[in-house]
Amino acid sequence: MNIDFTATAIALTTFFGISALMALSLNLEYGVAGIPNFGQALFVSIGAYTAGWTYTRLLPLLAGQEILNPCGATLMEALQLRTAIMRQLPAVGLLNFAITLVVAALLGGIVGYLASYPALRLKREWYLALVLLVGSEIVRIIVRGYEPIICAHNGLSGIAQPFAWVSDSTQASILFAGLVLILAAAAYVYCERLVRSPYGRLLKAVRENDRMALSLGKRVPRIRAQVMFIGSAIAGVAGVLFVTNVGFASANDYVVALTLDVWVMVVLGGLGNNRGALLGALIVTILDRVTAIAAIQLDAFGANIEFNYVRFILFGVILLLMLRFRPQGLLPEPPQTTKAHEALHVGETCKLGTKSRQT
Amino acid sequence: MTRRNVILRIENVSKRFESLRAVDDVSLAVPEGHIVGLIGPNGSGKSTLLNVTSGVLRADAGRIIFDGQDIVHRSADEIFQLGLARSFQDPSLFFRMTVLDNILLPIKEQDGEDPIRAPLHRTWEKQEARFATVAAGALQRLDLDTHFDSLASDLSGGQMKLLELGRSLTSAPKMLLLDEPTAGIAPNLARNIFEQIEHLRRTRGLTFLIVEHRLGLLFDFVDQVYVMHLGRLIAHGPPADIAANAKVREIYFGE
Repeated sequence: MNIDFTATAIALTTFFGISALMALSLNLEYGVAGIPNFGQALFVSIGAYTAGWTYTRLLPLLAGQEILNPCGATLMEALQLRTAIMRQLPAVGLLNFAITLVVAALLGGIVGYLASYPALRLKREWYLALVLLVGSEIVRIIVRGYEPIICAHNGLSGIAQPFAWVSDSTQASILFAGLVLILAAAAYVYCERLVRSPYGRLLKAVRENDRMALSLGKRVPRIRAQVMFIGSAIAGVAGVLFVTNVGFASANDYVVALTLDVWVMVVLGGLGNNRGALLGALIVTILDRVTAIAAIQLDAFGANIEFNYVRFILFGVILLLMLRFRPQGLLPEPPQTTKAHEALHVGETCKLGTKSRQT
Repeated sequence: MTRRNVILRIENVSKRFESLRAVDDVSLAVPEGHIVGLIGPNGSGKSTLLNVTSGVLRADAGRIIFDGQDIVHRSADEIFQLGLARSFQDPSLFFRMTVLDNILLPIKEQDGEDPIRAPLHRTWEKQEARFATVAAGALQRLDLDTHFDSLASDLSGGQMKLLELGRSLTSAPKMLLLDEPTAGIAPNLARNIFEQIEHLRRTRGLTFLIVEHRLGLLFDFVDQVYVMHLGRLIAHGPPADIAANAKVREIYFGE
């Protein structure tokens, strides 16, 4: 039994950062704004498909090479070409990656925005959950059958991470893990500042009672569409990182199980709490990796059970236990939004002197 | 007596739910700066009329003129923006939000409500602090200032009603539609709420249309009363006349 601890730690860090982005996205949409997005896998997959497109069309273009059909007779040639570019031309690879991130965020955001329009007019918000769940599967099945996106069911390999040009592969993966962590941290800071603002207050109000928010002059459908844009843009970024991390784009990676994993993260960590989303992402990532390693090890010992399924049972049990015993999650939502609260605290102690505050 | 402008005019409004005529050809007028009561037994259509007026439901027929504009086909958020705010029958606060957040929320044109500016705290913090000072004043008048930090769900029933009233004020409305502002709270607090209403009318010139079941209390404060029964208006006049009206006594008190 030998486990490469350095490699495992780097892989864990990378997966954690990617999961954190997905969890922050869902926490904003559902935890804060109350939009039950059960199509998370769809928005993540948009990032992956975007990468599939840029790596096969934009990348050769940027490198001044001919664009080859990545799926047909020129499959091997196209694969060798993009692998060579990513290894030999750092500037082109990084530029292509940066463009991929931006396009994926925009595309994810636009699809989220558009999806929200018909769906949010449904009478019950849980209808939206179903529409997105089914929509996500429909898109996946279409992509599996439609060659131009990622070569249909064959998938697309050679979606290298942006530091593939670094000769030492450990260093390359450390750099990538660092980039993922930076993006996750940026998303955390952004979400946290967004939630702790009058806009965050607005989102919570829409979550608590949308009809009443409307009666208080708030444009609820537009607000929901905006949140779906922001959340889906973050999910799109996560998708790019996810696909470049595994190096292979396949529609089969973006199944409902991925959506459910993200839900487990958010429910476990605490709905409405960005730190909770990070904690949930960390725990789920560790459990996921541990079960994956256990499965490989058991397989090596010749055990006759499919340990991979244990994680589905495990996550299901976690979800049920949390909903039953601690629905607010490990880190509950902080009650205050803006700094106005702290300002009044200070003002109050001046005004009331020694009078103690009681709850 | 000076003639006042009519701020809200409801003309021949009807609303039916399948075969039920919830509101049947109702017309009424509320003069600016008045407190007008709307009474009637349960199921007489009072709340439906408020819902239609505030845009929560859409009228089947009729016109509603608020402050010179026909609002019958406007949505709830547009009607609110025009200055017609409302409260609901059940305490309808944002329960998992603080008292302060509840009262800050309805303020119009907040810089920090823009999703692009929201993460840039510097662009709205000053404005927010100004709003918070105003809100703190409002909370003090309602005797809720020590609770600004609590979740709305932690307040007592009476405090919730007061907060609801306070919340409808931070948007600086011209008129308030109140659906049973004293439902489910102690009698002395109920009077306190009506005193707050009277105070607001006097100091800010606000207009009120109030649905209320505590008639004794209501009649002490209103200028005129409309009575509904089975979706129709059956009487209208000053409280003393209504209290003496035989038809009203019959349907209301079973006399």
